Amino acid sequence: MFLQDLASWAFLVPLLMVLSFVLVGFLGPYLKNWREGGWIAVVISGIAMVLGLLIAAGEMLSPGRYTDLHTTWISVPGNGTGVFPNGFSLVMGTLVDPISALMLIVVNVVGFLVLLYSIEYMQHDRGLSRYFAELSLFLAAMNGLILADNLLEFFLFWELVGVCSYFLIGFYYEKPAAASAAKEAFLVTRVGDVLFLLGIFVYFGAYATAGAAGGWAANGFLFVHGTNPYIPIGTGANPTLLTIGGLLILGGAAGKSAQFPLHVWLPDAMEGPTTVSALIHAATMVAAGVYLLAVASLFLGFTAADQFAIVAVGGFTTLFAATMAVVNPDIKRVIAYSTISQLGYMVLAVGAGFTMVGLYHLFTHAFFKALLFLAAGAVIHAVGTQNLFKMGGLRKVMPVTWLAFFVGALSLSGIPPFAGFWSKDDILSSLYGTLGAHPDYWPFFLMAVATVFLTAYYIFRAFFLAFGGDHPRDDSLPHGHDPSWIMKGPLMVLSGLAIFAGVFVFIPGFSNLLPGIGVPPTYTVTDILLSAMSVGLAGLGIGTAYVLWGNGRVFTLPDDSPLQSIRTVLLRRYYIKDAYDAFGQRVIYGIARIADFTDRFVIDGAIHGAERSFAGLNRRMRGIQSGVVLDYTAYVVAGLVVVLVVLLVIAPWLLSMWGGT
Amino acid sequence: MTLDPFTTAGLVGLSGALLGIGLFGIVTRRNFILLLVAIEIAINAAVLNFVYFAAFASNPSSGLNGQSAAIVVIGLAATEIAVGLAIVLALNRIRGSINVTEATALKL
Repeated sequence: MFLQDLASWAFLVPLLMVLSFVLVGFLGPYLKNWREGGWIAVVISGIAMVLGLLIAAGEMLSPGRYTDLHTTWISVPGNGTGVFPNGFSLVMGTLVDPISALMLIVVNVVGFLVLLYSIEYMQHDRGLSRYFAELSLFLAAMNGLILADNLLEFFLFWELVGVCSYFLIGFYYEKPAAASAAKEAFLVTRVGDVLFLLGIFVYFGAYATAGAAGGWAANGFLFVHGTNPYIPIGTGANPTLLTIGGLLILGGAAGKSAQFPLHVWLPDAMEGPTTVSALIHAATMVAAGVYLLAVASLFLGFTAADQFAIVAVGGFTTLFAATMAVVNPDIKRVIAYSTISQLGYMVLAVGAGFTMVGLYHLFTHAFFKALLFLAAGAVIHAVGTQNLFKMGGLRKVMPVTWLAFFVGALSLSGIPPFAGFWSKDDILSSLYGTLGAHPDYWPFFLMAVATVFLTAYYIFRAFFLAFGGDHPRDDSLPHGHDPSWIMKGPLMVLSGLAIFAGVFVFIPGFSNLLPGIGVPPTYTVTDILLSAMSVGLAGLGIGTAYVLWGNGRVFTLPDDSPLQSIRTVLLRRYYIKDAYDAFGQRVIYGIARIADFTDRFVIDGAIHGAERSFAGLNRRMRGIQSGVVLDYTAYVVAGLVVVLVVLLVIAPWLLSMWGGT
Repeated sequence: MTLDPFTTAGLVGLSGALLGIGLFGIVTRRNFILLLVAIEIAINAAVLNFVYFAAFASNPSSGLNGQSAAIVVIGLAATEIAVGLAIVLALNRIRGSINVTEATALKL
């Protein structure tokens, strides 16, 4: 059938975006009337989206199918000994499997909508061709990442999306905050990348000789091995090595997905354009960390120790990030903290062994979070500030944006039947089911439950502050208005997805993209009670937000309230960024100064000292060459005398001292 | 003939004295011609040694080696004098003086 055969052409999706990158990057500056090539990027990404959707449709029609196409790049035969007794090879190729098809939908749909939205949102900015070219390159790399069929290729694209993120955070590079945020994002994720790379090394070592996986290196480290995909190849490998490898992979994922303690870069990454935040720092790239954990859990396998570490990191980050969102005055940063928190849910689910549930939340989250960002972008576009306390009363002037943000907020809060409810509820009930076997998961389950309340509270606080009341709190703000159809269109499509994406999983075909998620989910009395509890908590959060902030009210803590100190800690982001900065300034800068001192004074000093001493010697020795023949003969005679003295006096004396003859 | 220690000491002393006189002249004379004369004296110290020790060689044919060397050195000395005198003439023509301490152009 046509649709199923399309999987072999999956490589075209990233290639199309590379084409867009090249066209926009080189021709863009000459196409002023086409938004410097922005329309080219929109059209090509539209084609890529259709292709991606068709490929995903093909996957839906053939449950559990894997299409792996690759070409060998480097092949080293083994000689039966050494680290790789069977040799190893490096391959490049595409793997279309259910979860990569799911990711194809997420990345290309959100990517296309964001590019379209950017046409209007970015119209007053300079460097549009750079913007669209970099976004195209990002989409190419992201598609390459989700289609990668081996760990090395995955890492290659992983780095490429990282560098695109760096470019786009620093898009307004004249702004010092943006330039330093870009550097921070790059450096912090680099910590994770190094851990990931070490993890790859450890896995190579673990699988070089172990059991059925002995040929893993020889096969190019392919994810799919044999005819049994989604069965970890961990059998026979050294469990200690596997645990270490899993922890290192978790480090990589924590860097990319902004999990504690590598979360500091994501809120600062909001210095980039809002569209970039929506696409890269909410819907797709930051989800790559979760996708890595999913791929690793499906193909490589985690040990119990790894799973506990992942659950701990995810569960803690969920609550930790949500608390910081509660007090933040910046509309984009509130959503950014929310992203960290939601990514924590996904990590938690993958760690507890519910990979498909985690990916399900990734899928719904991508849509409602992109929606929230784009709606916030429309607000920022209209009023020119990100400060929630200056906004207000926007509901009357921006009804479409208001509705979009409302839908996104409800979805994020987990109110049925919006998308976020289904996936978040699935995470909570799945986790609850494991508590009997893993009582050590209890604290993280409670954190996840507590976050439900906080999530609803902080997002509706932002919602009421921006849209509630009758007029802006800052009168100097320009009068807001809804954007044109180019921005409204993506908002509406995403609103639709934020409402309905959750129930897609009940469609039999679609559920093939999340094999084993259990369709339709079986609801027991416990599940329904849990759902009722989480919806109740979310409702309580919304109610609290309404009482404190609704209808233009502004809740101010009394200055003598004991909560003020907590508020300060939260606003200062638990001093973690300060600690990192202090570490950088004291320790790293101190080491750098020692190195600088060594370089400047010890190494250069030795070289320059030698040079100076030779120059001085030269000045003195030059005087000897007087040109007067008699001086030279005097030297010759003096030399002769020295030789004679040495030969006739000193040498015999030395010999007699040592007892020679 | 055998080596007589006293005669040997005297001849070596003589040649050493000749060398000393020559070196003294080389270092102290400023007149180019006297410098050449001093060099000749120093060279003759070496020639004397060659000739003397060749006379006591155990194998008469190898004694010829020393005498040949003496003749070669005498020839070389003559050649050197020829070149030296040519330099003296040229120096006199250029500078109007044959004082070697004034000819200091030979330096970088």
